[in-house]
Amino acid sequence: MTAARAILPALAAGLALVAAAGPGIEGRRELRDVLIVVDITRSMNVRDMDGASRLDAARDVLTRWIASQPCGARVGLGFFTERRSLTLIEPVEICTDYATLAGTLAGLDWRMAWEGDSMISKGLNHALNRARGLDAALIFVTDGQEAPPLPYSGPDGWREDSPGGVVLGAGGDQPAPIPKFDDLGRETGFYGPTDVQHAPARIGAPPTDAADRPGFHPRNNPYGEADLEGSEHLSAMRAEYLTRLAGERGMGFARLSAGPAALQATLAAHAPARRVATHRSLSPVFGALALAVLLAALLATPLHARKETP
Amino acid sequence: MIGFAWPPALFALPLLLLPLVIRWLRASAVPRLDLRAVEGRAVGPLLVALAMLAPAALILGLAQPYLRGGSTAYRGIGTNLVLLIDRSSSMDDTFAGRSPQGGDESKAAAARRILLDFIARRPDDRIGIAAFSTAPMLVLPMTESRTAIAAAVAALAEPGLSQTDVGRGLTLAMGMAHEASASDSRAVVLVSDGAAVIAPEVQTALRNLAARRQVNIYWLYLRTKGAKGIFEVPEPGQADTPHLRPERHLHIFLQSLGLPYHAFEADSPGAVEDAVTEIGRMESRPILTRRPVPRRDLAWACHLLASLCCAALAAARWLERRYAPRRPAPLLVPA
Repeated sequence: MTAARAILPALAAGLALVAAAGPGIEGRRELRDVLIVVDITRSMNVRDMDGASRLDAARDVLTRWIASQPCGARVGLGFFTERRSLTLIEPVEICTDYATLAGTLAGLDWRMAWEGDSMISKGLNHALNRARGLDAALIFVTDGQEAPPLPYSGPDGWREDSPGGVVLGAGGDQPAPIPKFDDLGRETGFYGPTDVQHAPARIGAPPTDAADRPGFHPRNNPYGEADLEGSEHLSAMRAEYLTRLAGERGMGFARLSAGPAALQATLAAHAPARRVATHRSLSPVFGALALAVLLAALLATPLHARKETP
Repeated sequence: MIGFAWPPALFALPLLLLPLVIRWLRASAVPRLDLRAVEGRAVGPLLVALAMLAPAALILGLAQPYLRGGSTAYRGIGTNLVLLIDRSSSMDDTFAGRSPQGGDESKAAAARRILLDFIARRPDDRIGIAAFSTAPMLVLPMTESRTAIAAAVAALAEPGLSQTDVGRGLTLAMGMAHEASASDSRAVVLVSDGAAVIAPEVQTALRNLAARRQVNIYWLYLRTKGAKGIFEVPEPGQADTPHLRPERHLHIFLQSLGLPYHAFEADSPGAVEDAVTEIGRMESRPILTRRPVPRRDLAWACHLLASLCCAALAAARWLERRYAPRRPAPLLVPA
């Protein structure tokens, strides 16, 4: 008892000293550098994500996803329109530059588009090349609406090494109207069936079923007239098409509406990770031990007063 | 401001009341106050204080206090600078108007290199970047972060886009400069190798912006060999319309805004460097800017304090003596 009374406080002092010195264990952590490319074409203005536009929903989910990433991960930002992507910021460390990334993400706007086309397979290939050059995986946010529609030969393929990543599908499954804006950016209604092209341009080989189409004539009208009406003025997420594009490129497909957690899970499955050593402090453990030992030392003193005996 | 990484630990703080109830040293049932030296009377309360301080420090250490990071305002020399960069595809050519071959440097690459140098020399500037081709793009909101600025400038290395719509780009850049600061100086540096006709409604918007708040405008015109200069007045009889001479007419328009405005014509990387140095010299004014402050951990100090307290308490136990080494002699000896 007496020995414990003398030794325990010294032990507590030692443990606290160790805690102050800050011992730690080396750990490993997986980080994924990512280039985020957001489709900013017109169809992304459709308000079918619980009332918010697809672009707004994408901004929200991506900001929350970036905030959930561990420090040390690097994220770059770009956008896609026409047939290529444009990088705004090369990957930066998210904890240092979170405010900048969030600001740039908030500034993404359909008005930045230098052209109205939306050739997604071409843009995806361009973004993948760019991401590979930056040594990062790719998160490509799009709704899959090709405008003008894909040529009869189908989408562009991918035959190179892929850096991996996620195609994040924005939009709902029900076709919804696409808002239309005037020169000054004011909303003036929705695109109608006569405003858009419903079939690929009449260039290249005609479709194989052209002979069955109305108005077909081998010499004068080899494409038929099936391209005069369609529903390209409405937009729904083309999940099947995007899944196929993603699969061909070694990427995963996730829905934007599933939130940041689903994005993270898909990314973890489809993008290589960079392993970094981490230092995990053991100070709290030693501090808690010191506290326990100190309390024991305090309680080691008998509560009752000692009788002095000769 | 102090924050705690694990605040629930603070619920253990009532534990430090224990030493008020339990003595650190043994009590004796035979107090002999006269055996205790007067100067030693502080020892008791001191031990109680130490026994309270030690668990308090340990519990605080468990809660892992830290000084919140963030940023502090300080006065530096610089300006609120918006770089407005031309992303049209002609910027990828050299000053001679060819595509770069071998050791050639494109206009975009030269501008990028020189701007990076410039930014590195000016630590106090708050910088934002806007770009334009057919549409204006916000690349980087106003920021002090040098890593973000470097990453955004590096991203300009990608090949450019189609056309040049300088008017809307200027609107965006001036809007950014306006929002950057209400009191300090603001500047827009337009880097382009050409210009375009500015639509009347955009001209009105720019005039309104110019009337609202003062922004210094610098135009760094990267003149390609054979292109018309901005200061060249056409010979009498030659056409002088915004469509034929957009650069000259942009210059005239910017002069008419009533803002401090300087145009630089550079036809080689060296000339660009001189112009940028000149801009830097003119844009050196006191500016209230912010410097990031890292978060600082304080738990180690708590643990160290606790360790010292525990050591003192241990010493007290080692030096502990009975009040009276032996039973006092009776005062009265019965006969």
